[in-house]
Amino acid sequence: MSLLVADGITKRFAGITAVDDVHIALDAGERVGLIGPNGAGKTTLFNCLLGLLRPDAGSVSFDGQNITRLPVYRRARLGIGRTFQRVELFSGSSVRDHLLFAHRIRSGTGALWKDVIGLGLPKPAEIERCDALLESLGLGGMGDEPIEALSLGQSRLVEVARALMTQPRVVLLDEPSSGLDRAETTALAETLARIQSEQGFGMLLVEHDVELVASFTERTYVLDFGKLITHGPTPDVMRDPEVRAAYLGDFVAGAQ
Amino acid sequence: MTASVLAAGVLEETIRAFFQGLPIGAGFALVAMSFVLTYKTSGVFNLAFGAQAFISAATYFELHVRRDWPIWSAVLVAVVLVAPVLGLLLERLIFRHVHAASAVAKLVISLGLLVALPELFKLIVDYDREQPFGAVGIIPDGTTVYRLFGRYPVTRDEIAAFVIVIAAALALAALFRYTRLGLRIRAVVQSPRMTELNGVNADWVSSGSWILSSFFAGLAGVLLVPTTSSLGTVLVPQGYFPIVIAALAAAALGRLVNLPAALFGGLVLGVITTEMRTHLPRDNVILNELRGSALPYVMLFAIIVFWPAIRRQIAGADPLLGVSPPPPALAATSRSRGMTIYTRIMALAFFTAVGIWTFGYANNFWISRITHSVIFSIIFLSIVVFTGLGGQIALCQVTFAAIGAFGAMQFAQRWDVSVIVGMLAGAAIAAAVGAVLSIPVMRLGGIWLAIATLAFALFFHDVLVKYGWVGGSLFHGRGVPRPQLFGVDFSSHKNFLILCIAILVLVGVLVILIRESSTGMALRALRGSETAAESIGVISWRSRVIVFSVSAAIAAIGGGLLAMEEKQVSYEANYDPQAGLFWLVIVVVLGARTVEGGIQAGVAFVIFPELILDRWLGLHGAWRYVLFGFAAISFARHPEGLLEHGKRRSQALMQRAFGRRQPAVAAAAAGPEVDAASETGDGP
Repeated sequence: MSLLVADGITKRFAGITAVDDVHIALDAGERVGLIGPNGAGKTTLFNCLLGLLRPDAGSVSFDGQNITRLPVYRRARLGIGRTFQRVELFSGSSVRDHLLFAHRIRSGTGALWKDVIGLGLPKPAEIERCDALLESLGLGGMGDEPIEALSLGQSRLVEVARALMTQPRVVLLDEPSSGLDRAETTALAETLARIQSEQGFGMLLVEHDVELVASFTERTYVLDFGKLITHGPTPDVMRDPEVRAAYLGDFVAGAQ
Repeated sequence: MTASVLAAGVLEETIRAFFQGLPIGAGFALVAMSFVLTYKTSGVFNLAFGAQAFISAATYFELHVRRDWPIWSAVLVAVVLVAPVLGLLLERLIFRHVHAASAVAKLVISLGLLVALPELFKLIVDYDREQPFGAVGIIPDGTTVYRLFGRYPVTRDEIAAFVIVIAAALALAALFRYTRLGLRIRAVVQSPRMTELNGVNADWVSSGSWILSSFFAGLAGVLLVPTTSSLGTVLVPQGYFPIVIAALAAAALGRLVNLPAALFGGLVLGVITTEMRTHLPRDNVILNELRGSALPYVMLFAIIVFWPAIRRQIAGADPLLGVSPPPPALAATSRSRGMTIYTRIMALAFFTAVGIWTFGYANNFWISRITHSVIFSIIFLSIVVFTGLGGQIALCQVTFAAIGAFGAMQFAQRWDVSVIVGMLAGAAIAAAVGAVLSIPVMRLGGIWLAIATLAFALFFHDVLVKYGWVGGSLFHGRGVPRPQLFGVDFSSHKNFLILCIAILVLVGVLVILIRESSTGMALRALRGSETAAESIGVISWRSRVIVFSVSAAIAAIGGGLLAMEEKQVSYEANYDPQAGLFWLVIVVVLGARTVEGGIQAGVAFVIFPELILDRWLGLHGAWRYVLFGFAAISFARHPEGLLEHGKRRSQALMQRAFGRRQPAVAAAAAGPEVDAASETGDGP
């Protein structure tokens, strides 16, 4: 059975059906893309999966459990991690604090009474663990940097690292290439691919950048006007003449 | 038969109360519309309208009653001249320059003004009457009574108030509908930036709406004088508080953005006020208080908690909101190592010198002042925890301090328990009250949280304190003994000071531990991005409730110590909700982010009026409200506090002077101009 399943999701805003009866499913350890032109309903669907929006119809389930009505933090605790299109970091915190905090949340070791008697200060083992992940993401030695000192590409990696520290079983990436140039996108994709194959979490990539999706995912869903128009193995979807003509246009043709 | 006579009597009373409630409601509605106008056009939730209403009312009173000016000229000056000019000045000199600041920062500024403006007015005009005599409305022979439908008495003043407000509301509607300014205001409300892209000067529109709303507030001030005798009156300092709160409740009905709802809400609340006064039984303390000034507080709290529209409120429908730069760097808290060492050495030297002087040479007066400073430092650490670390504003720390003081008193008086145990019990009660209070409002956060906590503080002040099990009875007095602990007697001044210092150190370490541990991380995360924090599993409201409880307990400990120091609970002198506003202002001005900041605020609060204002400068003590109140403006730019900012600057200067390279972060933190630019966050 699939790990994350959205079944018949429908969401309307003031008469406009942003997402119309969409089914998607993601298996454990799988890399799946979700593409579509602007206004296709990608972000709405994404928000329904994460709990930021409640669908008007349909259900979301995770590992067999119906999570349609669960708030964001409960989904996070079940093992759904995410990154943001517009980077959302904790200003005023260091890079390592982001990871450390996510780790504390996951392991449930952040009780107030521990803080009060001095047990809440960062421990060497925790710091080591955070630094190891930073190292493997190519951010080695940046643990003490204030988050404001990072470039956009590095900031996205910190978001990924923060999500990974919660030991997610699936990570939802919201347009990770936005704001990055081609070289940065490639570097990010390589890092993501490596860390994904090491850790084996599932990944749903919502993207504009068709090339990134093509190079990176195993299966792809295509949305348009809120409807799922096709899905299947990524190479097949990319070759689908309907998709190429209607949504990808000359872009893919030019890129290939 | 008797039943129907009784019913007819009740009906008649109800109708009479309805007609009496309308003019009061009209005053609420005017202030409520002022709130809505400025909140919509400049994002400022201007609590200082209360102060502005007071200034207009008091000016009118000064000119007409005390200096015998004719009514028309006094109204002209007080309402048509003073009120709009004051509004324009506030917009031009203050609020225009903090456009990009957060709603909470703007709220802090307006709180500062609420504290400062009436005091400044009183100092300038030499207006110092506790009770106004011969207060009159702006209509000649205003007390003449007419009978509506031959039976329901209303005064000329009341009719005038109602008619003027309705006329003002209609004029406002016409302005929006038919004039260029109205069209522009409507556009600016939708999106200031979009409007500017279309060639409209949004600043000019904002000035216009401030002039209008301040005029409304001033008008409300003079109109409410004759109609609100039992609500407290705008003519005494603090008297305008219930009116501001009622107006807030009315504005809240329209989620702060809906003008017709604010008008309607004001009228309805006015009628509810008089109906309650007519029908509530008089033999119950709480219900009896609801007949008077407590009612607005209860209504406001209830509306904030239960009014569904507030929960559904969506922030920022501005399509260009995404292009604004993020608020100025909160990151300025990260300090260089040299800075920390420097601070510690200075602090050590300072405390050693003060310690030697205090314990060797100071007389009892100064020991008592220093003890007060230490105690207020403890109380202010509660603000450091909730506002400095948590980034939220609560206006009821003063209430928690009072709970600690009463806890110490009650336990010592009733059960003969050690006063220290009583204080700790008070702290536990305060923590519990804090948790219960905050659970319904913490989800709302921001300005709603601030307003709800203010309503609670005022409710405690007006109602709960009057219960014997809270505030004690007059018969027993409010005496509190000095403690004995482990066989040590702390009744001497010096011994008690040592105890207070020990508790301050404990609480300070506690605050630092919280800041550096999981709870502190959670708060930083929530302040940085609530959405992101929830995406990793943080339960935002729960973290805040916990911290609010901790902060309540700290305030209660300080309050208990203050009662022991003064050997009684001087409730009116120390724990008035308005004093609480000043507490918040002085802490955020000097530095809410650090333990040092809290301590500096405690020292400044006690020593500054005594030593600097009175002895050195020979100024009236009220100048502290004016100075710190206006200093709150700096909060938008330096959320880390003025002293912290100054220290960083001086350190940067020293490093430059000695030719050492300074770390990049310290440089960014030192220069105000760099702040906004250094934190582009999502810029490549």
